[in-house]
Amino acid sequence: SFLDSLRSNADLAHVQINQNKYDLDSHGRGEGHHPCAPPSAILVPTSAHDVSQILSMCNKHKVPIIPFGAGTSVEGHVSALNKESISLDMKKFKKVDLPIDGILEDACIEVGAGVTRHELNDHLRHTGMKFMVDPGADASIGGMVACGASGTTAVKYGTMRENILGLECVLPDGTIAKCGTKALKSSAGYDLTSLMTGSEGTLGVITKVTVKLHPIPGHVIAAICEFDSLHEAAEAVATMRMCSIPVERCELLDESSMDAFRRYAASSGDGKFELGAENKPTLFLEFTGSSEAAVREQVTLTESICDDFGGSNFEFKADESERKTLWKARHNLYYASLALRKGATDAVLTDACVPLSKFADIITATVKDVKDFNLVGPCFGHAGDGNFHCILPIVEGDDDDYIAKIHKVNDNLIRRTIDVGGTCTGEHGIGYGKLKYLDSQYGEGGIKFMKELKKGIDPNNIMNPGKVVII
Amino acid sequence: MKILVGVKRVVDYAVKVRVGANGVELKNVKMSLNPFCEIAVEAAVRLKENKAASVSEVVALSIGPKQCQETLRTAMAMGCDRAIHIHTDLRGDYMELQSDSVAKLFQKVIEEKEKDVDLVLVGKQAIDSDCGQVGPMLAGYLNWPQATFAAKIDLDGDGLMVERETDQGTETIKIAKLPAVVSCDLRLNEPRYATLPNIMKAKKKKIDQFQADEFDVDLTAKNKVLEVFEPPARKEGITVDNVNQLIDKLKNEAGLLQ
Repeated sequence: SFLDSLRSNADLAHVQINQNKYDLDSHGRGEGHHPCAPPSAILVPTSAHDVSQILSMCNKHKVPIIPFGAGTSVEGHVSALNKESISLDMKKFKKVDLPIDGILEDACIEVGAGVTRHELNDHLRHTGMKFMVDPGADASIGGMVACGASGTTAVKYGTMRENILGLECVLPDGTIAKCGTKALKSSAGYDLTSLMTGSEGTLGVITKVTVKLHPIPGHVIAAICEFDSLHEAAEAVATMRMCSIPVERCELLDESSMDAFRRYAASSGDGKFELGAENKPTLFLEFTGSSEAAVREQVTLTESICDDFGGSNFEFKADESERKTLWKARHNLYYASLALRKGATDAVLTDACVPLSKFADIITATVKDVKDFNLVGPCFGHAGDGNFHCILPIVEGDDDDYIAKIHKVNDNLIRRTIDVGGTCTGEHGIGYGKLKYLDSQYGEGGIKFMKELKKGIDPNNIMNPGKVVII
Repeated sequence: MKILVGVKRVVDYAVKVRVGANGVELKNVKMSLNPFCEIAVEAAVRLKENKAASVSEVVALSIGPKQCQETLRTAMAMGCDRAIHIHTDLRGDYMELQSDSVAKLFQKVIEEKEKDVDLVLVGKQAIDSDCGQVGPMLAGYLNWPQATFAAKIDLDGDGLMVERETDQGTETIKIAKLPAVVSCDLRLNEPRYATLPNIMKAKKKKIDQFQADEFDVDLTAKNKVLEVFEPPARKEGITVDNVNQLIDKLKNEAGLLQ
């Protein structure tokens, strides 16, 4: 068998082979609603050389292989659609190339693909710099590249794509490829780094990444403001952009999210933001600058803009622990949303992204669908990017009708999104659940382009088959 | 109020330490500011930011090799005004330089170099030696009141009200009058990240240098380390296929059931 060939390869003797049932299960699922599809075995390589040998063997024996980071994907990225699949666990790739004296010369650093973003920032804590991309999960850097991840700071710093300078990856035939350089910009050849970004393990295995860093902001103020409608909040955001306010975070929560948020804040017992009596669409904002005066200016201007659009209860906080509590509550909205339905452990997460001018309409239409179908589905998102998420918790035992309605909400949303020139996924990726939307999103030409690339790089279709593009 | 903060350069808490012929391997290993010292620095800087405390300056003190200057720069980037480096190449992880000598060096600094210190803040322990002795020993030598494992420090008239964490619960200690020594525990605060502008400013702050042997302090170890070894590797567990097998093993191998 394939595993026997692996075991008899002396070069790979140190590579752990794990077939424990519980570990296989945990490697067959992410954090979305897709059913668990466990691989047949888990391999734990320790170097790019190991990965190269493993991939060449998989390629030779035509055994599918799925890279695994932190397992926090939400579109079924790691599901082993093919039962023989091997899971390639990148957890040993934890090297952080910080100089011994702790002083960074450039605002970038090379890290192993298995380092998670919190681990990285912990290593960097005395350097004055930080890795800014902050999706909700404590994902691995390699996984974040593979997924094209982003978070609440994308409005100022961009997504993963804009925060990496280069990477090292291994192609299906075992070739170790260097992509990108440490230079801030380059016109040298194809942009392989961007090609790998969002490729979801279908083109190769990422082993090392050179990430961009930014200075830790010197002065920070967080603010919230309530609005009577999502539309008015979205217009306030558009106006803020027109006034060139370099907002660090700009999140919009609908009434249902505010309900989830309040319950979470109440139960976790910390942090007090004075909110009005009822749940209203609320903007969560953060401003940073090099001086207190610079930040206050942004806050003052934003307050008057919010006021113009009927905003109320504008409140801001400079205290670090209060700010942290606020953003922690925002980051945990996924779990707070699940908690709105007792017993829910899974949810459908929508993830559409539209041009800013269409944002208010699209989130309002989804909120209406959720209400009309009588579902629980808080909507919240990155108002500065035109990207929002509707979390639709699923409880075991939900009848087919409820589940069908949940999927209809997502389906309606994506149809409307593609109609206005948006994308069916702003940050979560395609996995296998969203394959069906790519045709209408890109059309024949775009799909053909992707297929040709996949066929050229992975002719035997061993890299995470069944995801992103089918050949 | 003038505050002296002890900062120690130790192996970074995330490093997986290896034991060699001469104890823990320190070569090419990442070193950082001891986490509890970081908390002490944060406590000092917050007192400085509190107008009611009227802190005139915060001075950081470190004892060790020349790389301690990096540790002191981190402390100054967090807000200490200046620093003192007592240079010694003796190993500070209990192998050579031990708590008694360290406490005596602190005492010399306070009695001879920085004569008007009102408050000494130290971490409750260093994560390499885990002794937790410098704070209490220093208070003893200086004959000053002390509060250890501080989880909360409040100004109280001429002194301090300190909440002290113990395994049985929280103890509140009133220090009637300064000067005093306080050692800081985990829950006291969450240390700030130094920003780049502050890191740049710290490069210009003053570090006074001394040699450890220029003070009249015996630096020889009072306790002899006989052996340093890694804990024995944990035996791998096994999975059983069913409850009967589990009961059999608990009964006949582990001897936990009759």
